Amino acid sequence: MKSFSRQQKQLVLLLAPATLFLGIFFIGPLLIMAVYSFLEPGLYGGVEWNFYHWNYGRVLGWADGFYEEFDLVYLEILARSAGLALATTLLTLLVCYPAAFWISRMSTRGKALCLFLITLPFFSSMIIRLYAWILILRDSGFANQILDALGLISEPLGLMYSSTAVVIGMIYIFVPFMFLPLYSSVEKIDGKLIQASQDLGAAPLTTFRKVILPLTLPGVIAGSVLVFIPSLGNFVVPSMLGGAKVVMIGNLVEQQFLYARNWPFGATLSMLMIVSMLVIVSFYLFKVMKNQPQS
Amino acid sequence: MKGLISAVTSSKRLSKTAALACLGLSGLALSSTTLAEQTLNLYNWGDYINPEVIERFTAETGIKVTLDTYSSNEEMLAKLQAGATGYDIIFPSVHMQDVMTSLNMLEKTNINKAPGFENILKDHLIAESDPKGEYCLPYAWGSVGIVYNKKLVPELNSWQEFFALPSQGKKITLLDDMREDIGIGLIMNGKNVNSTDSQDLKAAQQFLLDQKPNISALTYDTIPMVQSGDIAAGHYYVGAMMYVNEDPDTLAYVIPKEGATMYQEDMCVLKSAPNKSNARKFMEFFLQPEISAMNTIQQTNGSVNKAAISLLPAAMRDNPNMNPPVETMEKLQVFKDLGKGIKLYDRVWTKFRTAS
Repeated sequence: MKSFSRQQKQLVLLLAPATLFLGIFFIGPLLIMAVYSFLEPGLYGGVEWNFYHWNYGRVLGWADGFYEEFDLVYLEILARSAGLALATTLLTLLVCYPAAFWISRMSTRGKALCLFLITLPFFSSMIIRLYAWILILRDSGFANQILDALGLISEPLGLMYSSTAVVIGMIYIFVPFMFLPLYSSVEKIDGKLIQASQDLGAAPLTTFRKVILPLTLPGVIAGSVLVFIPSLGNFVVPSMLGGAKVVMIGNLVEQQFLYARNWPFGATLSMLMIVSMLVIVSFYLFKVMKNQPQS
Repeated sequence: MKGLISAVTSSKRLSKTAALACLGLSGLALSSTTLAEQTLNLYNWGDYINPEVIERFTAETGIKVTLDTYSSNEEMLAKLQAGATGYDIIFPSVHMQDVMTSLNMLEKTNINKAPGFENILKDHLIAESDPKGEYCLPYAWGSVGIVYNKKLVPELNSWQEFFALPSQGKKITLLDDMREDIGIGLIMNGKNVNSTDSQDLKAAQQFLLDQKPNISALTYDTIPMVQSGDIAAGHYYVGAMMYVNEDPDTLAYVIPKEGATMYQEDMCVLKSAPNKSNARKFMEFFLQPEISAMNTIQQTNGSVNKAAISLLPAAMRDNPNMNPPVETMEKLQVFKDLGKGIKLYDRVWTKFRTAS
């Protein structure tokens, strides 16, 4: 029998708390969800312990033939959620990318102040901040009042309760998640590399494409993953700013647990979301590892 | 402790404070010794009981009351099923009371034998599992109608007028609630709000889909939006009367003439209740007309106690939208449990919410 070295024993001891914690509070619930997604819904919530394949079928449009008809409504919701999450990701990237360059050239004090300002919203509740957005976006709100006073509009824009409002709210919430990883990779860029590229005659666009972008790519990908995943599952913003008319996958899961009393279907939708996120994160890890210089 | 008091006697005010603190401490010690039989734990909807009612009960009986809240029947049931214990009285909607009875969770209290029960209106003994009131005490009810901004909409009497508002450039909202919204679709087709007939639901779905482009939002934040005029009219509970009374020049509430849904909650004792006799005392306390009226006045909802109704201020008692006449009452439908039929509703709701 092989005996363990002292180092190995120490390692086991040090890793045990984290392993136990993740095992009990992460893997455990995940397994329950995976099992539930194959069971029949109980009449009053909960599950019946019978194998039930309609949960996954239902997402793809197949119906149980009794209560349902063939309908792609769930795929439609999935696609729409992905679209909104993608729009949020791209727009936060567009906002944060130039800002990261600008802030990285500031004095140390200026940098500290800007980073503090960007993390400042975390100090108050998201719900309260979204209510503030209602006051801004509604027809009698600040945005319309200001535009009206400036003579730019004669009618309210009707921003409130629209997909636009949802995307605005999500950008607002997720900007820090995009900015921080992006900033850390922008700040690390060696200015000499850009100079070298310019000296060798590269046009500004070529310098950006061949030098700056590859150097900031890890930050771009990390930020995009951090924004895309939570915005895909977000259901608070669509409820509050979208007037619940813009159904996202998160709303659908909430509905299954709280109103439809269909825990297995809610579990199925959550499993699908987790699997798709795993795919995205693996893609990210693959990309980052490929970009890392061999060290 | 004595040393502490003498150390601060230099100031009269301080010594008084210290003495009070001591009194408070001894009071605490006293109550903790008798804690076992002197508590009552309520589990109710948020903001669904007048705090003064609880204070009066504690003052009269010495029973300490704790209050936890939930925001939906399903949440309450799920918590209790998951093993939450310690609660004595819960306030389920009547259809949830039926579910809980079938799950054998409710205690038979024979509250219908208690003095004052004769004041409970028979029209409100509507739980199918409890037609005589042997288990639960009818608590409160209310209609779900329309709150509107009088400056934008001078008069509103029907769902038809409500759904016509967007064509005049005025915005409307519905509640973000599956049963309530599908209920309107069923009412507009002359169907029962508890129908599980797929044809009825198809008709309701079609009605809702036709309205969807005109509906600004599905929301519970109706009152501030209607008050500010951002929304002209919104689907809302009779509890809106609380705001209507504060701002009667702007706001009004109406039960549409085609009919509407109504909710009713009953006060029930759990089988697992640790303080059943205190729970019984609370139910008897609540049967007193003046206590019941005190609750209704603060809640601005409907009373189920005819002696309490006569104690209400005239403005509430004579308001046909708060204390509706018989012909309006007949047009109000209460939700029943749908059983497996809930799947049909879930489908319609998803279709409705996804449609653009």
